[in-house]
Amino acid sequence: MADTLTPPTGELENFDPQRVVEEPLWRVRLRLGWRSFRRNWALFNDNKMGVVGLAIIALFGLMALAHPILMATIWSNHLEGGKNVYDIRAGADSIIVTKTIVEEVTDPLTEISQIEAMFLGTGVNIPEIGDTIESPLANPAPPVFSGVKHPHILGTDPFGGDVFSQLLFGARAAFLLGAIAAISSVALATLVGTISAYFGGVIDTLLMRLADLVILIPLLPLLIVVSGFWNVELTMLGILIGILSGLGGTAIILKSQALSVKVKPFIDAARIAGGGHWRIITRHIIPNVLPLSFLYMMFAVTGAIFTEAALSFLGLLNIQQSWGIMINIAHTQGYTLEGFDVWWLMFPAGLAITLFSAGFFLVGRAMDEVVNPRLRKR
Amino acid sequence: MVKYIAKRFGQIFILFYVFLALLFLLLDLQPGDISQQFVGNPNIPPEAKVIMVRQLGLDQPKIVQLGHHLWNYSFGMDMGVSWSSYPREVADILFTALPRTVFLFLTATVLSFWLGFYTGKLVAWRRGTVVEKSVMVTSIFFWTVFYPWFAILMLWFFASQLGWFPIGKFITVETWIGSPFSADSVFILMLTSIAAVTLVYGILRLVIDRSTDDPRSRQNLHRIALWSLIAVATVFWAFNSRRTYAMDILWHTVVPVLTLTLVNFAGTTLLTRSSMLETLREDYILTARAKGVPESTIRDRHAARNAMLPVTTSLVLQLAVVIAGGVITEQIFSWPGLGRALLGAITAEDIPVAMGALALIGVLSLLAHLVADITYAFLDPRIRVQG
Amino acid sequence: MAQTLEIESRGGKAGTPLLEVQNLVMHYGTKEGDVSAVEDVTFTLNNGEAIGLVGESGCGKTSIALTLLRLLPDNSVVKSGDVRLDGESLIGLDEEQMRRRRWRDISMVFQGAMNSWNPVYRIGDQIREALRLHWPETLTYQEETERIAALFELVGLNPATMERYPHEFSGGMRQRAVIAMALSCNPKVIIADEPTTALDVIVQDQILRELKKIQKELGMSIIYISHDIAVIAEVTERMGVMYAGKLVELGSTIEVFHRPKHPYSYLLLKSTPSITGPRRKLAPLEGEPPNLIEPPSGCRFHPRCPFATQQCIDEDPPLTTVGEGHSVACWHWQEVPEIGGLQK
Ligand SMILES: Nc1ncnc2c1ncn2[C@@H]1O[C@H](COP(=O)(O)OP(=O)(O)O)[C@@H](O)[C@H]1O
Ligand code: SF4
Ligand SMILES: [Mg+2]
Repeated sequence: MADTLTPPTGELENFDPQRVVEEPLWRVRLRLGWRSFRRNWALFNDNKMGVVGLAIIALFGLMALAHPILMATIWSNHLEGGKNVYDIRAGADSIIVTKTIVEEVTDPLTEISQIEAMFLGTGVNIPEIGDTIESPLANPAPPVFSGVKHPHILGTDPFGGDVFSQLLFGARAAFLLGAIAAISSVALATLVGTISAYFGGVIDTLLMRLADLVILIPLLPLLIVVSGFWNVELTMLGILIGILSGLGGTAIILKSQALSVKVKPFIDAARIAGGGHWRIITRHIIPNVLPLSFLYMMFAVTGAIFTEAALSFLGLLNIQQSWGIMINIAHTQGYTLEGFDVWWLMFPAGLAITLFSAGFFLVGRAMDEVVNPRLRKR
Repeated sequence: MVKYIAKRFGQIFILFYVFLALLFLLLDLQPGDISQQFVGNPNIPPEAKVIMVRQLGLDQPKIVQLGHHLWNYSFGMDMGVSWSSYPREVADILFTALPRTVFLFLTATVLSFWLGFYTGKLVAWRRGTVVEKSVMVTSIFFWTVFYPWFAILMLWFFASQLGWFPIGKFITVETWIGSPFSADSVFILMLTSIAAVTLVYGILRLVIDRSTDDPRSRQNLHRIALWSLIAVATVFWAFNSRRTYAMDILWHTVVPVLTLTLVNFAGTTLLTRSSMLETLREDYILTARAKGVPESTIRDRHAARNAMLPVTTSLVLQLAVVIAGGVITEQIFSWPGLGRALLGAITAEDIPVAMGALALIGVLSLLAHLVADITYAFLDPRIRVQG
Repeated sequence: MAQTLEIESRGGKAGTPLLEVQNLVMHYGTKEGDVSAVEDVTFTLNNGEAIGLVGESGCGKTSIALTLLRLLPDNSVVKSGDVRLDGESLIGLDEEQMRRRRWRDISMVFQGAMNSWNPVYRIGDQIREALRLHWPETLTYQEETERIAALFELVGLNPATMERYPHEFSGGMRQRAVIAMALSCNPKVIIADEPTTALDVIVQDQILRELKKIQKELGMSIIYISHDIAVIAEVTERMGVMYAGKLVELGSTIEVFHRPKHPYSYLLLKSTPSITGPRRKLAPLEGEPPNLIEPPSGCRFHPRCPFATQQCIDEDPPLTTVGEGHSVACWHWQEVPEIGGLQK
């Protein structure tokens, strides 16, 4: 059926040539930008799930902001043995004791020795029988809200660390990683996609074969091997994920978008007007690919968070604290099968990762409906 | 069609070698020096080290080493010797693990595809209903749930709370004490019978399609063929002495397969739904309505049949999720497949096994792409029949 | 057997009324408000006759066609009016009864028929599907094939090509095949919505000629819909001009084409190059078609009409008879001048 979108009306009614001349260009741009933002927001707002996603992201944003504030204020002087009990890793209500290893106890589930598991990813050499190690003497404690010296409103982990504090800190780590991965991935994909579309020929073939290859490489197994060889920390991981996901499927999708822009008449006009390649790409093609790039950024965040958390869960990363590590600790310390009995060990972190991914996923889907009219209701 | 498949085959073949070369690069770039790494390894006797140096070409220039690497991994079928469980060959370790992983991937993928496609099709058709909304929310939950956590919950729920299924692993050791069969031989026989049923069914379908033009009788004959093959397989196993052992293995597969299936099922449902919604706007759907085609036929024969095309393409992109999920599943359920071999090797700093496992997982991914491409070509006449 | 396979029209005696559309009102509900897409439309299609509906795109032509087949989207509401086929109301039928009538009684050639084919099935099999659904007696596979071959020949296609897939057909071939499919169940009425718009002019002309020939030979009753008044003039005997959901002029094609009485028809003709007559000065139609959510008061054409007066803004002109089978909805139809330099 015919395209039933009616053009916006009423824009010409208060047309005043005097005003247009006086208005500086940036104001015009701003006004046009604001108008298209409002129109797109209306479309986005149609999809309630997108709004829910946005609310979730905002909630996590507050959590991430809350951590440093709480550490500086309410939590600042809960000291125990010289350490702040709310400190994300070292801080623990636990007593450190020295133990000598007498035998290797293997976790029946993972078949990894418990000692190995404790030291995985810490960068410390795994001790052997006969060595002495410092081990915290603590058990996970259930949530306590008041009446004790140090309230742990989400309880403590097996080492006595405060779960709530870790949870808030995890949001910071998640945002940092998500931002690095999403920006690097989509920047790369946009560049590769537009260059490939604009120049075509050999450059296009090479870049697209590369994309094929990158799609074929199983990301998680590769990162497992990489983290076995190198000490991977958060920034490095973000960039790695960014590169690996940016060169693959996203580049191909953005290329096809760039191709559809390339054939538009205004590109020819720009070329005839003497615009250089670089100028045409940055001024004309990329701005038109940008909405789609932005959309794929949302999905890139979801992918990056999953990968980080999975690697942390497997104990392969060298990072301070994250939601994945919280689950890893509960898992390797043998609380896997206790389920609801020690719910504060895995549920807060598991739910946080899930909701965080879901937030970006939902926003991405809602944006998809704005960018891609074929998905709209009508 | 043949040309298309041959072309894809060629491309995949080249990609395979590029991938292997990339692995070599990874090995070369890693901070340690490979020759030093195994010289210092106490597990390996010195004479074996000499053999290894020769086999990897470590005393020769890099480009020759690369040649050795490519040859060893492909035609040589030789990925070296494990460092942590010397003198087992890497190929031996990995090819024992391979069928288990393939089983996990295949069952989860096939099950989730059919279920997800069916569900996605139905909810797209019922857009706006409560059913659609609840299916969507559930699917988004499964699709975005943190998989390791979800797998642990499944394990906790089914194995620990309900006690219906074993806590991970491949077999119950007590059952197999004194068994005349090895677990792997039984497992391979199970896989063989599944493969045989599929293959024979495929051949029978071709024969049936050749022999009759009428779609109604075709469909009936297809059904008869499938059910009789399943009956034959059931009878075969019912009278086989490996029966109890096979049941034990099967019992261990349920929760891991279910877990991996649920997540991928959600993904396929979401994909199918959007694909269906786009297809339903096509002109030929309106034509079918105008033709007085009954609604259920429009849904199945016209819309879903076309919606399947983009879903098949996107499955390739979903493959990364299946593989990642597979590795994590194997780890959490102690399922001794490739993913676990990889993780174990990384923990034990067993570089040959780690590289071999990565290579093999890469090959699986390549093959899956090839299968998806061929399936697509079969489904889409625009590729099957060149215009 | 051969008898039943004849390609024919199942309509009644030529000249008797076949399809009657009476005071049809159809709106689409949208978030911004009701779109009044079809407003009080009345016309009759007689047996063996070809009539046309013409108007700018967006004026509701397709909406009328979809109402006749009851294929409207979910957000549509038929507010009032009736559609009668052989005296029987189609609006009152339940969905299953209506489904059985589609294609068997009323078939349709869609706007953009290029995309009317499902890409994964053979052209022949898609026609076969219609036969299986609607042919009164079950045909054998062989008989179906024969009938499809006969249809292909009728529309000028090689019967061997029925084994092909849509992507193996050119645009013109697909369009011919669509016509073959529309004829497959010997319908009483065929609706052709922009049947040739997507084609290049030469193919367009060929297909129109053939359609006209087939219509005459089989005594088929056809409703042509087009934004192009030249197309309508070429193939129809009577035509209606639509503006903003309303039928503003109805009469014999020759009358309307040569002596339009509605200002809109007049301007539409002035803006169209004549394919048969001598060259004349073209006057482009000024302005935009109105927003159908809040249509202009009174006569919907008044914002663009050079003859408009206060009466036109206040009151909606009724359809009045101005000649033999010629009616117009305009207060000032007498002021519309003769159209200059146009002859057949
Ligand atoms: N599903 C729909 N929902 C809302 N408005 C619609 C819908 N379909 C068509 N319209 C509107 O109805 C009017 C008539 O459309 P249509 O019948 O397709 O016109 P035509 O065929 O003459 O071009 C147009 O203004 C169009 O925007
Ligand atoms: S009624 Fe008035 S406005 Fe409408 S067409 Fe006639 S003259 Fe023009
Ligand atoms: Mg139309």
